[in-house]
Amino acid sequence: MTGARRVTESALGRLGLSGRALVVAVPLVWLLVFFLIPFLVVAKISLSEVTIARPPYLPLLEWDGLRATLNLNFENYAYLWNDPLYGNAYLFSVRVAFVSATLALLIGFPMAYYIARSPEPRRTLLLTAVILPFWTSFLLRVYAWQGFLRSNGVINNTLISLGIIDTPIVMLQTDFAVYIGIVYTYLPFMILPLYANLVKLDDSLLEASADLGGRPVATFFYVTLPLSMPGIIAGFMLVFVPAIGEFVIPELLGGPNTLMIGRVLWNEFFANRDWPVASAVAIAMLVVLVVPIMALRSAQARAEEKR
Amino acid sequence: MSQPQPSLAPKPWLSSEATPFVRIQKVTKKFGDFTAVDDVSLDIYRGELFCLLGGSGCGKSTLLRMLAGFETPTEGRIIIDGQDMAGIAPYDRPTNMMFQSYALFPHMTVEANVAYGLLREGVRKAEARERVAEMLRMVQLTQFARRKPHQLSGGQRQRVALARALVKQPKLLLLDEPLGALDKKLREETQYELIRIQETLGVTFIIVTHDQEEAMTLSTRIGVMNAGEIVQVGEPPEIYEFPKSRFVADFVGSVNIFPGRVVEDEPDFIRLDSPEMGGTIHVGHGVSCTLNQQMWFAIRPEKITVTRDRPDAEHNVVQGLVEEVLYMGNLTAFRIRLDSGKTIRATRANLSRQEHEPISWDERVWLHWGDTSGVVLAQ
Repeated sequence: MTGARRVTESALGRLGLSGRALVVAVPLVWLLVFFLIPFLVVAKISLSEVTIARPPYLPLLEWDGLRATLNLNFENYAYLWNDPLYGNAYLFSVRVAFVSATLALLIGFPMAYYIARSPEPRRTLLLTAVILPFWTSFLLRVYAWQGFLRSNGVINNTLISLGIIDTPIVMLQTDFAVYIGIVYTYLPFMILPLYANLVKLDDSLLEASADLGGRPVATFFYVTLPLSMPGIIAGFMLVFVPAIGEFVIPELLGGPNTLMIGRVLWNEFFANRDWPVASAVAIAMLVVLVVPIMALRSAQARAEEKR
Repeated sequence: MSQPQPSLAPKPWLSSEATPFVRIQKVTKKFGDFTAVDDVSLDIYRGELFCLLGGSGCGKSTLLRMLAGFETPTEGRIIIDGQDMAGIAPYDRPTNMMFQSYALFPHMTVEANVAYGLLREGVRKAEARERVAEMLRMVQLTQFARRKPHQLSGGQRQRVALARALVKQPKLLLLDEPLGALDKKLREETQYELIRIQETLGVTFIIVTHDQEEAMTLSTRIGVMNAGEIVQVGEPPEIYEFPKSRFVADFVGSVNIFPGRVVEDEPDFIRLDSPEMGGTIHVGHGVSCTLNQQMWFAIRPEKITVTRDRPDAEHNVVQGLVEEVLYMGNLTAFRIRLDSGKTIRATRANLSRQEHEPISWDERVWLHWGDTSGVVLAQ
């Protein structure tokens, strides 16, 4: 056994690789091939000019046999800046993502807290229940919400048959439906990191607070909440970041006015076939996203440090 | 803290008029089928430093947690300062607890930890700051006020925990294994510190510990617990010298126990026949027992003298072989195998710095004890 390992190690050693480098190399190569290179391709396309061809953009480098000419086209970014459609879509996306993440936090925190405080057999059961929806297709679940929210859907029919309302409430194809869809879909991503954090919360700290005269509300705000900050930030980030670029939910549940950046992106790519502008939208979104992510990350680091 | 020392009857538990400060009346606590505390009744008086002593799982911590309000008794009542504690939440009780793990808030500075209780009580910030500063001075942590708990040593954390529990000037301070995590030197210092604080502030202390030495040095009285029950309550010397059962004798300090049958039962002496001892044990005082009753004779190692020559005594002399000699600095401990095969422990104070010819391994020696040195136990 050890002999075999020594042989492998020496073989790797001859190639100039240690086991450790190999382990690190796998994810690095993955990121390089599936993130960095595609990103550079998109960045390149965002700087080129649109044309009716295949692919539908002009090359950046032109080679006339003697020398190369670099054609950098910043028009696409200028276009994004000048057409209020894009700015509004960004702002709206950020707003939707922020509100959804906040709602998910408000709903998810009590759930995570309850699960974390539950005794063992029940705790596992509840955790499984949180993860269970993932076993059904995401698309199917969002479609199911259409069935709930439609004018003749489950909710309206129930309310009408109970005599609470006369005419159906318009819910589908509104921002409200988008919020519901996003909060519903991303709730597990809020609950899981919060749970992981809250389950570590030392009971004796809560008892100490009570012992020192802290009523339950005070204990929550002075002890539980500050100590769960890393979990709150992690959960918030896991909901907020993907929600900004969300496409499927606003497409299926939102109305024509729900112009989120993911939809704009889709339209540019597939409806307008304007790859350069679409790429510019994507790159700009990344840049817009990096700022809040960095802010949240450093806040998280600070919160971790406090513990 | 310039509070006058409360004037008390020196030993209120001996007087029949004194009103107990804490009354634990027939308290039972069950967790499912498991009975953690079994029908415990106990009176503790103002200004006492009462130790609940017992091994792990004996129910002492559960009893403490019921006093603090973290657990509700399944049966029985707890009365603190004349007030029935039933249905009173921990944050409304006149008690403060020092947790075994200290339970310091990790996200708060030392100062904020100590101030926490005062601020929850609604004390104004300026006043709280003053009282916290005073408290930190008392536990000598002033220069660490702005540190976080993880930047402190174990001993410092323990002092923060103590300061945090004391700053509210509770009527009753509950301490759960307060010195558990400290090394020996720091323990001793802190023990004196606790006694000093207790005397200056006049707070009533209830301390839970598994360490009999700690209980001995600290307490006014000790309650020994076993399997959820209080088996004996008494002042430290009483617990040590007059244990009521083999459990107490064995748990507090070390002891040699010999089973024996009563062969002579006179008003002023009894004799036990003990094959393990290899003869009869003469006890120089009356014991309530009957002839032929099975009893146990318990004797502490320091009450047995070890000599080379046969001591000039009529009773309680046996011979054995030295199996082990442990030099412990202040005393030397012997393990001696009697002819019956039973080993016996004896210690000897090292009175001189250099002994001429110290007793050593494989020597045959004589053991002797006075006829009132041991205790006869019925259980």
